[in-house]
Amino acid sequence: MKNQLISYLTQLLDTSANHKGLDWLNKQVEKISSEGTPSKFFLAFSQASRFFKKEKLTLSQDKLAQANELATGFQPEHWDELQTARTVLMLSYPQEKVAWFAAMNQLFETADMHEHQALFAALPLMPFQEDLIPRAIDGLRTNISLVFDAIALNNPFPAKYFPEANWNQMVLKAIFMQRPLYRIQGLEGRRNLALAAIARDFAHERWAAGREVMPEIWRLVAPFVNEMYLEDLKKTLATGDDLQVKAALLTLRESAFTEAKSLLESYPDQVAALDMDAIAWESIGSEFQRTRV
Amino acid sequence: MYIDPHIHVVSRTTDDYEAMQKAGIVAVIEPAFWLGQPRTEVGSFKDYFSTLVGWERFRASQFGIVHYCTMGLNSKEANNEPLAEQVMELLPLYVGKEGVVAIGEIGYDDQTEAEDKFYRLQLELAKEVDLPVLIHTPHRDKRKGTIRSMDVSEEHGLDPKMVIVDHNNEETVKEVLDRGYYAGFTIYPHTKMGSERMVEIVKQYGPERIIVNSAADWGISDPLAVPKTADLMRKSGIPEEHIKLVTYQNALTAFGQSGQMDEQDWLNAAPLDQTKKMSGNSVLRGGQTPRVEGKSNIVEN
Repeated sequence: MKNQLISYLTQLLDTSANHKGLDWLNKQVEKISSEGTPSKFFLAFSQASRFFKKEKLTLSQDKLAQANELATGFQPEHWDELQTARTVLMLSYPQEKVAWFAAMNQLFETADMHEHQALFAALPLMPFQEDLIPRAIDGLRTNISLVFDAIALNNPFPAKYFPEANWNQMVLKAIFMQRPLYRIQGLEGRRNLALAAIARDFAHERWAAGREVMPEIWRLVAPFVNEMYLEDLKKTLATGDDLQVKAALLTLRESAFTEAKSLLESYPDQVAALDMDAIAWESIGSEFQRTRV
Repeated sequence: MYIDPHIHVVSRTTDDYEAMQKAGIVAVIEPAFWLGQPRTEVGSFKDYFSTLVGWERFRASQFGIVHYCTMGLNSKEANNEPLAEQVMELLPLYVGKEGVVAIGEIGYDDQTEAEDKFYRLQLELAKEVDLPVLIHTPHRDKRKGTIRSMDVSEEHGLDPKMVIVDHNNEETVKEVLDRGYYAGFTIYPHTKMGSERMVEIVKQYGPERIIVNSAADWGISDPLAVPKTADLMRKSGIPEEHIKLVTYQNALTAFGQSGQMDEQDWLNAAPLDQTKKMSGNSVLRGGQTPRVEGKSNIVEN
């Protein structure tokens, strides 16, 4: 698996025609995998920034599909060249559990901001994933959005492994930091009653402070709509704001609650204009990010 | 545009960052130093070094300022030898990182044996990783300490153009420049230089290899010392190109030798987007609006 990943990631870098960088990387991979001394690995991991830039990767459709086959939910289209090179180095380090954790712990503890980004985004490609759950949870305590995003957004790791309390904390923090929720993998599948209540409390807090509520949060509420949430959705509809109204209608449309259905019927034109759920939520989320955050 | 190539921004407030950005400071270098009292555990050094390349770098970026740093064991704490040995083992983890532009600030404080030992070890480290060196010259017995710093550096074969000798004054500047070093001047009230003396030095010695900084930290100091000194130079008739050299270009040329500092880092940076500040970060915690106007008695919602 590890060799397939290394070869896949190296191919992604190969398209950028950075021959000097690739030569350097191949040499480091050889050294790191054969010698297994952490000092060379640490140095190469840091110095990768001298050979690779933070340019976004460009991927063909084939490569995109291949990524998902290698690791479900792996989305390198959000990665840059530098983190890709660093991931190649990380994967090259011998995966003998005790020594691997000793080296990785040191790397995590001394990483700079972009090194953290590379490490956390690569969680779904790492060995011993279940033992890395506390590391990922701890990583989310950061206040550096770049690092938070590397764990929370476009990463299959949290949805796959986090216990409910930690999952809910992550989603709430993403809301608090106004991160795009549609980029959290598995968001719909892991909705739960507790999270819906947290989202509602947060909305009330924002309203009390006279601040706008991020419309994407109503997506968390949709399966649990009852009398109480219906009041919130009415209030959201009453804002008359395009994004807020769309979000409320999408939430009502998904709900099986009878009164939600009847409320929805009073907005026939707007409902007819709504896209499919996933597309509509993504467009609300990205529009909100673009214009309001 | 100004660069403050020596400032300990971990101890400064967001008000300072705002004022610095408004005054035209585009980049800062934060040399690793002590914290006003000695550390007793190597872990404190590790977390401090990590802050310099992590949170502080991010915090500065929120105010449109590019943050670089230097890594090293300072001379004061070199005197705790068992701890200093452990810090030396830690340094290789940090010196290769992005945005680390020199080994420093290193050199002498009381000019003890232990200080000498760790100064020399770090000169060797700088040679090994091909980074410039930032030398802290002592407050006490300064002239002798400055000369000794240069002698030892030459003994280890370092090229003077790779070395910035900092905290100069009227008594040290001539020899430092004559021997081919960059000469840093710290505009720091009471203990180091004042702006007016700095103007006289640039008048007398010209702008070549002279670098002005604030060394602002947790003491009474001024994060605007560089732009304020530049203004005074302007009023005193020093040519604009000389002002640019001593408050911007010389620092860039000297520390740029690391390959880790490039003008494009700020010239091509995404424009400071105040709304972006609000979203992703927690310098301005969720929902806070960045202050754009002057101070008011009302705390904004």
